[in-house]
Amino acid sequence: MHRRDFLKQVMLWSAGITTAIPSFQIVPELLALEKQPPLVTHAKGKDYYQLVARVLEPLGGISSFVKTGENVVIKPNMAWDRNPAQAANTHPLVVKALVELSLDAGAKKVMVFDRTCNEERRCYVNSGIQEVMATIKDNRLKFIHPDSRKFIPVDIKRGKAVKRLEIYKDALEADTYINVPVAKHHSLSRLTLGLKNSMGVLGGKRGQMHHDLGQKLADLATVVRPKLTVIDATRILLRNGPQGGDTDDVKIMDTVIASTDPVACDAYATTLFDLRPDEISSTVAAYELGLGEMDLERMQIIQA
Amino acid sequence: MVFMQKKNFKLRYWRRSSQILFFILFIFLFLKTDYSGTNELTYAVNILFRIDPFLAASASIATRTFIWLMWPALIFIGLTFFLGRFFCGWICPMGALLDSCHKFIPHGREGRISRLHTLKYYLLGFLLIAAFWGLPAAGYFDPFSILVRGLAVSVYPALNVAATSFFTFTYEEMPAWINMLTEPVYSFLKITILPFRQNYFELAFISLFLLLAVFILEKLERRFFCRNICPVGAFYAVISRFSLLRGKGGSKCGKCKNCMSVCRMGAIDEERNISPVDCNLCLDCVDICPASKISFGYKQNEIIKPSFAVNRRKFIGTLALGTVLPFFLDARTMAKRPDPYLIRPPGALPENEFLGRCIRCGECMKICIGNGLQPTFLAAGLEGMFSPRLNARTGYCEYNCTLCGQVCPTGALSELSMKQKHATKIGNVFFDKNRCLPYAKGIPCIVCEEHCPTPEKAIQFREAQVLNSKGEKVSVKQPFVVDERCVGCGICETKCPLPGQSAVRVTSAGESRNPENALPTLSTMY
Repeated sequence: MHRRDFLKQVMLWSAGITTAIPSFQIVPELLALEKQPPLVTHAKGKDYYQLVARVLEPLGGISSFVKTGENVVIKPNMAWDRNPAQAANTHPLVVKALVELSLDAGAKKVMVFDRTCNEERRCYVNSGIQEVMATIKDNRLKFIHPDSRKFIPVDIKRGKAVKRLEIYKDALEADTYINVPVAKHHSLSRLTLGLKNSMGVLGGKRGQMHHDLGQKLADLATVVRPKLTVIDATRILLRNGPQGGDTDDVKIMDTVIASTDPVACDAYATTLFDLRPDEISSTVAAYELGLGEMDLERMQIIQA
Repeated sequence: MVFMQKKNFKLRYWRRSSQILFFILFIFLFLKTDYSGTNELTYAVNILFRIDPFLAASASIATRTFIWLMWPALIFIGLTFFLGRFFCGWICPMGALLDSCHKFIPHGREGRISRLHTLKYYLLGFLLIAAFWGLPAAGYFDPFSILVRGLAVSVYPALNVAATSFFTFTYEEMPAWINMLTEPVYSFLKITILPFRQNYFELAFISLFLLLAVFILEKLERRFFCRNICPVGAFYAVISRFSLLRGKGGSKCGKCKNCMSVCRMGAIDEERNISPVDCNLCLDCVDICPASKISFGYKQNEIIKPSFAVNRRKFIGTLALGTVLPFFLDARTMAKRPDPYLIRPPGALPENEFLGRCIRCGECMKICIGNGLQPTFLAAGLEGMFSPRLNARTGYCEYNCTLCGQVCPTGALSELSMKQKHATKIGNVFFDKNRCLPYAKGIPCIVCEEHCPTPEKAIQFREAQVLNSKGEKVSVKQPFVVDERCVGCGICETKCPLPGQSAVRVTSAGESRNPENALPTLSTMY
């Protein structure tokens, strides 16, 4: 956010109040962003389970996101009928760690789901996530297949390329929504990261998102607002994304990245692929909508 | 040796219990015909077809090999030599359904030997000889094919429509306290009897009508289908002529004819002779006879000499028809050039052998987790109706799934290992550049490539500068297919975001099973 834009917003806002015209909308996150550069943390290590707690530490730990009695949604990427080594889905241990941390923090309910691209049950099983979820013996955990009745139409008021989307009710109503994408190659958006992972809460015909994908993902990000984004870059898919299938296309990075700023988190993850944040259209579009920071210089990047 | 004669001990309860038990087993296996969390099936869900001697004979005759997959049929052939048509009365799920519906279908006369009861022998003869000469039609008359197909592509999906509509209504319109009651019920039904997802099928209505017809015929005569049409029954009847266990009517009785009128198979004549070729050992007559004159026992061969009452001239005529008709099949255009959109499931044998073995049971369509396999209408000819084909616009073949080959009871689809499956080409895709967005409109779209499942993608791009509909010069990625990698799974066609027809379509070109369908390459002259 540029200072000039900020001032402009403030002026419009004041003008809006004085003239009592409700159409002027001040965007709260613009104000918030001026205060402090977003914090992006990353951690490296072989123990993926333990890595998650470590990467959250500088952000205040899980307790700054999950409070006692809250409903939590954890949204991994498990869209493809691929196994963990093929790097098309979020690593099971990363998901497991987040679920257990949330449960320990006193969550009332932790839901884990994705709307898959391949057959639902095959994706849940082959991603390895179903297996680790089954090891968590806690009935507060709901590892479920989306219920088709719960996709509700939502007006995207601030959307530039899309005005209405069907979004999963539980994702919208969660007290804490945690986005857990896997970082990987994608032939149209170049990479799929946090913003792209949000497509897993969409109903309807998602294929139509692909025309002007970057802007539409940014529009979606105005309503699907994760409190926390944890990017799994334990191994990344460099080619033949988003589903891969050949382990020769996979690079082991042993890295997990986290931030409360979804744009900053994506922007930093981009650097793992030797790309610049401004090469990813969704990052740019989301930044322009004021959803977060994309300039690496204006982030506080901490290795945990 | 005579037994089963005690009056106070209702024999029919034993028979009924057996019918219920086997029907429950049948439904259980039907529900288990699904992906269960592993790619390997845990139950022999196709067993009902593999114990069917008629289908085993038909498929074996058609392919001129003994199909080992169907060896369990031999057990039932053997048992029939001892017990007669016990299968029809005690085990057959179709028979159990007909018996249980008997009370609800207003019916005509009972007892009495039907004038049509020889029809099934002619039909059996026709079906077997026609199968030999290349006209496989067993699946149209086999009761299990009719039953399972009807359930799989029609009744079961419709049941889910009904359940989903009801629970969607309660979810959206009803107050919370009602949902407290209905939602747990819905969840319970979903994990027990309802399918995992709503599937859609072509020929859902025709399949339903064929199944319903069996029940409607019940109006004419009790067990009309079993008495007059069923080729499995006919097959067992032929063996039952030699069976050891037989019923014997009383010689001195009050002539109440209760036995005759209660007989569901019309097996008892005016002289209370029980025909072993028609009797399905339901034992109702034993229970009903006021004088306890009827008994079943071994070594009663001398009692009557059963006759099929088949007219030799007519039978030979039927066989001649079954021999001649197949020649007409090869006079059709499809003999010269098969339908290019007739895409057979992975592991399908070459077309003639495939159709010879395929019994149209619908098991592969039931288990297809992509809802890609559909019953064929006329694309494979009249004789190919209900055989499976891939309709890639409504569903696709899941890359890492080999379930259809595992479930096929006759080996019309061979069981493939994962490695073989990945190397099996069921077709090849073609792009319609007049519709495909990056070609036709200059609009970026990569959905087909994104979903292409081969590790090295069969769909690739070329970057191109094109004019969009506003006349602006834009740079887009235009997809093309690498034939050597494409397996024809059709996920690109399913997921193509265009409304109506897809811009990328699978055809059978290049399918592994048919070398004549090979695609041209740069190195080979065409």
